[in-house]
Amino acid sequence: MKILVAVKRVVDYNVKVRAKADGSGVETTNVKMSMNPFDEIAVEEAIRLQEAGTAKEIVAISLGIAACQDTIRTALAMGADRGILVETEVELQPLAVAKLLQAVVDQEKPDLVILGKQAIDDDANQTGQMLAALLGWPQGTFASKVEVGAGTVNVTREVDGGLETVALKLPAVVTTDLRLNEPRFVKLPNIMKAKKKPLAVFKPADLGVDVAPRLITLKVQEPPKRQAGIKVDSVATLVDKLHNEAHAI
Amino acid sequence: MHTPNESAALLDGIRVFIEPAHVRSDPDSCLNYGRDWTRLYTPNPLAVVLPGTVEQVQQLVRYANEHRLALVPSGGRTGLSGAAVACRGELVVSLERMSRILDFDPTDRSVTCQAGVVTEAVQNFARDHGLYYPVDFASRGSSQIGGNIATNAGGIKVIRYGLTRDWVTGLKVVTGCGDLLDLNRGLIKNASGYDLRHLFIGSEGTLGIIVEATLKLTRPLREPSVMVLGVPDLDSVMSLYHILRNKLELSAFEFFSERALRHVLKKGLHRPFDTETPYYVLVEFENPEQLHTDTALALFEHCAEQGWLADGVISQSESQVKELWRLREDISESIAEYQPYKNDVSVRISRVPDFLAEADTLLTQEYPDFEVLWYGHIGDGNLHINILKPVGMNPTAFAQKCGAVSEHLFAILQRHGGSISAEHGVGLTKKPYLHYTRDETEVNYLRAIKQVFDPNRIMNPGKIFD
Ligand SMILES: Cc1cc2nc3c(=O)[nH]c(=O)nc-3n(C[C@H](O)[C@H](O)[C@H](O)COP(=O)(O)OP(=O)(O)OC[C@H]3O[C@@H](n4cnc5c(N)ncnc54)[C@H](O)[C@@H]3O)c2cc1C
Repeated sequence: MKILVAVKRVVDYNVKVRAKADGSGVETTNVKMSMNPFDEIAVEEAIRLQEAGTAKEIVAISLGIAACQDTIRTALAMGADRGILVETEVELQPLAVAKLLQAVVDQEKPDLVILGKQAIDDDANQTGQMLAALLGWPQGTFASKVEVGAGTVNVTREVDGGLETVALKLPAVVTTDLRLNEPRFVKLPNIMKAKKKPLAVFKPADLGVDVAPRLITLKVQEPPKRQAGIKVDSVATLVDKLHNEAHAI
Repeated sequence: MHTPNESAALLDGIRVFIEPAHVRSDPDSCLNYGRDWTRLYTPNPLAVVLPGTVEQVQQLVRYANEHRLALVPSGGRTGLSGAAVACRGELVVSLERMSRILDFDPTDRSVTCQAGVVTEAVQNFARDHGLYYPVDFASRGSSQIGGNIATNAGGIKVIRYGLTRDWVTGLKVVTGCGDLLDLNRGLIKNASGYDLRHLFIGSEGTLGIIVEATLKLTRPLREPSVMVLGVPDLDSVMSLYHILRNKLELSAFEFFSERALRHVLKKGLHRPFDTETPYYVLVEFENPEQLHTDTALALFEHCAEQGWLADGVISQSESQVKELWRLREDISESIAEYQPYKNDVSVRISRVPDFLAEADTLLTQEYPDFEVLWYGHIGDGNLHINILKPVGMNPTAFAQKCGAVSEHLFAILQRHGGSISAEHGVGLTKKPYLHYTRDETEVNYLRAIKQVFDPNRIMNPGKIFD
């Protein structure tokens, strides 16, 4: 079985993001960039399937500027076999990403595509679903457990009332949730090996996909500053303030 | 010791100038405020007082002088040497209520705060202003700036940023006489005589009470990367240190043993890699835009060829930086339940290999049945040697046995010109061994200095020396 894993380069989870002064977006100069945490989980899951003998080949794909190669190299160092970068300076929105992935799936013919359930920068939570729709494949989103059988994959999802398990026919699209696994650390020798693994670069035009944005960002701004809290010295004052000042009760 | 009636009268006298709610003698307060992180002593303070202003601190110290009441200044009580323990009817003076940040100056890059501010609050404050307070260790969420200054705390970034001493540019202290001194006032240069500020740094509450501090800040580390490396023996640890220090901008070089690692794994962390080695090194270095990753890789290859390391991982994100740090930082807490006997020793870096070899031989010989854990800030020549109490062994017998071995260990240390306390202070636990590091003549000078600041010996008496 062949697995395609999508990995996105995002502002590191621990960085406190700041809006650019002109409101055009989020400040990314001199900011630490890392792999989207849900995508790390996707890569880890693919590697575990490979280690279990279920998967033969893992292809890691990223879409965006040239620096996304770093993110692909991380996936390769974790254990993916080869990489694909679809390089463009255009800001990619979920639909464009899904179409590009669809085009790559047509070429690569994987049995399973694993993606993060969302990227922590735009929190769109759309790409996996759109891709499944474009391909006409079944989808198992927010996976907390993935079990591959003969021609099928069972995906357990965390839903409000508990756990739901869906059985999908392969090929299928799976998106990962936080509790699916704990990604491994990258071994130094594997970074060296990753440098020698193949990494193909395409342009959107090579794949015949129009990636022009469909949505216009009007403005990005910081949320209003929260006022500092105060301490009250008795329950009565608390109730009074909640009632008369906060109008909460 | 006072009779119950005398005690009550003494406390009533304090309640005249400090709000009664902040003069506490209930058993819970006495237990909690009467001890630090050590568990060797039975807390037994007269009471706990929580002053809210500098004036109240001064009034309290004057009152204590009048009534010859011993005071124990108290911070976050994370100290590891018993320096904040009150087991002889002392009055605990907690700075906890004096926890305000008073001033920030972006031009001076400095922050002025009350002594009771928690270390982490200063770190967060600095970060929110695009700056960095680099004194850092696992107890950051509880320890206070006053406590850090009184112990001259070190921690995990000393190799690059030095100790607390290097970041204090001003101090306000109430001396044991009750005088308020405003020391150095944030100046970088001040050649106008003795710098009393430095006497209070590391004074463990024996000269007076620190009430305010001005701290320097610096720019944050740029995208640090962390490597954890598996190392076959102690000699290789030092070989790695030499080569990595020369080639990378290190902000930490820490080490821990496999035995220590096992304790944090038991608490739910995962092994960084599957290869088991007797020792591990954690290295942090600035790596903006991965500029130095290739250097790190080349070094790794070279060191692997030399047989200095067997395996290793490198962080790919800030989250992984934090996760890898936990392997080292969580050790202290993970072994707390074993009531470890703690040694915190240092030698000059050039002496580390010889000292390690001799200490290793001694400890293997003397503690055949005890679990001995090594870890520490080895890049500063600082080793934490923790001996775990076997389950069921009587704590006093255990402490006695460990004390006896310490004499041998400290004799080795003395030959290498080291210190019996690198960063945890002397307090009560290391007092019997001070002479291995400071000779009698020097200790007499210390006593003479204390006499000047605290003529009635009310400030944390019996700590550091008698
Ligand atoms: C998990 C853990 C990890 C640690 N790691 C490190 C480390 O890496 N490096 C390190 O150096 N230490 C470390 N420590 C030890 C400890 O955290 C430090 O010594 C810290 O500086 C103590 O601060 P505190 O506020 O808790 O002081 P306390 O324990 O309350 O007091 C320590 C001493 O300071 C005096 N004191 C406190 N406040 C004042 C004041 N306002 N004026 C005058 N005297 C005062 C006390 O009387 C006492 O003598 C660690 C402790 C723990 C529990």
